[in-house]
Amino acid sequence: MINDSLNRIWILSKKNITLYIKRGPVLIFGLLFPFFMTLSWAIGRAITINHVFIGIVSMTSFFTATAISPVVLPIETREKSLERILVSPISLNELLLGIVIASTLYTLIITSVITIIFILLFSIVFNSIATIFLMFLGIGLMSILGSLLGLLVAAYPTDMTSNVMIIMNLIKFPLLFMSGIFIPLHSLPPYLLLLSFFSPITFLTDLFRFCVDGSNFFTYQFDIVLLTMWIVVLFIVGYVTHKRTMPKRLAETGKTKKKMKMMKKNTIASRVL
Amino acid sequence: MTFQNNDTNNISQELDMGKRSIAIKVSNLVKRFEDLIAVNDVSFEIFEGEIVGILGPNGAGKTTTIRLLTGIFKLEGKARIEIFNEDITKNLSKYKTNFGIVPEVSNAFSDFTVLQNLKFSGGIYGFPKRKIEKRSKELLEQFDLIDKMHSKTKALSKGLKQRLNFCLALFHEPPILILDEPTSGLDPISVKLMRNRILQLKKEGITILITTHDMQEAQTICDRILIMNRGKIIADESPDNIRERFKPTSTILFKIDGILSNDQKTSLTDTFDSIKEKNGYYSISSYDILKDISKLYNYSKKNNLEIFDFKVKETSLEEVFIHLIKEDSISKGGLEK
Repeated sequence: MINDSLNRIWILSKKNITLYIKRGPVLIFGLLFPFFMTLSWAIGRAITINHVFIGIVSMTSFFTATAISPVVLPIETREKSLERILVSPISLNELLLGIVIASTLYTLIITSVITIIFILLFSIVFNSIATIFLMFLGIGLMSILGSLLGLLVAAYPTDMTSNVMIIMNLIKFPLLFMSGIFIPLHSLPPYLLLLSFFSPITFLTDLFRFCVDGSNFFTYQFDIVLLTMWIVVLFIVGYVTHKRTMPKRLAETGKTKKKMKMMKKNTIASRVL
Repeated sequence: MTFQNNDTNNISQELDMGKRSIAIKVSNLVKRFEDLIAVNDVSFEIFEGEIVGILGPNGAGKTTTIRLLTGIFKLEGKARIEIFNEDITKNLSKYKTNFGIVPEVSNAFSDFTVLQNLKFSGGIYGFPKRKIEKRSKELLEQFDLIDKMHSKTKALSKGLKQRLNFCLALFHEPPILILDEPTSGLDPISVKLMRNRILQLKKEGITILITTHDMQEAQTICDRILIMNRGKIIADESPDNIRERFKPTSTILFKIDGILSNDQKTSLTDTFDSIKEKNGYYSISSYDILKDISKLYNYSKKNNLEIFDFKVKETSLEEVFIHLIKEDSISKGGLEK
């Protein structure tokens, strides 16, 4: 039973990776966006290479993780393949986990490649071997967290990816600017420091600072616990929201909406007959 | 025009069905979209191995009924669904393997190849790799898609996409096949191929529920027809029974050489109550075709008139369908008033 379920989740994940990594919104928001964002932030400023490294890894993991998960459901709603999935023996949980795993794996691969290239190119020095492991743990946690955040946004019942991406950007940018990614937490005024608690990126960059130059504000344990808590909360909220909005997604998008108009017309027409 | 029940046919049909077990039994299906009731207290039964067609105008509630049946939409109120005598109302998802669904519009992954789509289905239904390969090949051959197995689904024509939909629906060998307007928009050759395939599947013992606008399709392949209008089933009988029930079953059309005198006209209307004239054609709605032809022959002989362009037109299922929809709408309109 569990094996069957895991098998279905893995098949869904493979499908999502194969089908969606080459989609426009994923490439734009997952690869190009973090690259140019980091470039525009770092160039011409007196920022240490460690600071740039932390920024690029944090932004890549966050942006890439939130690129694939919001687009899967709107695309599949529009193309009707979501109905195909829902009439087969796949539960909502399996469907959502298939998206999260695909997005997490995609983010892990992209961010790990960028991290390794950066480490080798700029000879980034870590505090210890254990901190390298902690850095990749952080990337892993952000991959899951970002994927779940994207999935939560995808609960909005639409078949237009642009609608979801607008909402996603409205959430992503405040979270990015609220975090200590651009200004170290030590330098933030108290009210901004308080605000930074509401962004998971704060804890990710803080964990990376611990790994790279020891300029962390919180302890690394605190960062990991907070990131894990974000994951748990996002998973629960995401599942509950999708459970509530899925019938609406199926009833009110695409052809069904047209059919509703048709039904109303038919009611009027048959009265005239 | 009046309805007359063909009791003998109904009884024999019921006796015949009584021998078979029920594959699908739905009762009190209801679906509301805000202020609109799309499906209104629909109940029906489908016997094992039977092909049942749901007919209705656009927006009658056919697809919504299917979506309720397959668990896409949540059941409301007292709705109940039984599959092979097991109540699945509370656990529709557990019984999803019983259904194979062919939608009107392709729902295969458009960026997957034909083979990738089949492999995905096989994997989801838990088939081992070897069985997936074997079954894929089997279906691709059956539906003449072997040459297209490596083509992207989005590059296929509508007819080929529909063949792929059949393959996907049949992959897990479901005992029940649900077809939502499967031949809509296809070319005549594809339509014929699909209809033959549907009849073949019936022979293999698969129970089939099909929604369609196409009267000819319903008449050709369905054992029984449910006519839906405004979310309700307004007729549930075999195509022949529905036509039989709808008297008169035939129309006699003819022209008369020359101009009729007043006496001849009076005699004609006295002989045939239902006679009408339009564009030089006379039409008689006939309950008993042989009797009426004989009366017409006697009339022409007695009045020394020559009859030409003589035609007999059987009432088509389409006419019955339009009549039923009109009658239902008028009766409901009356009630609403």
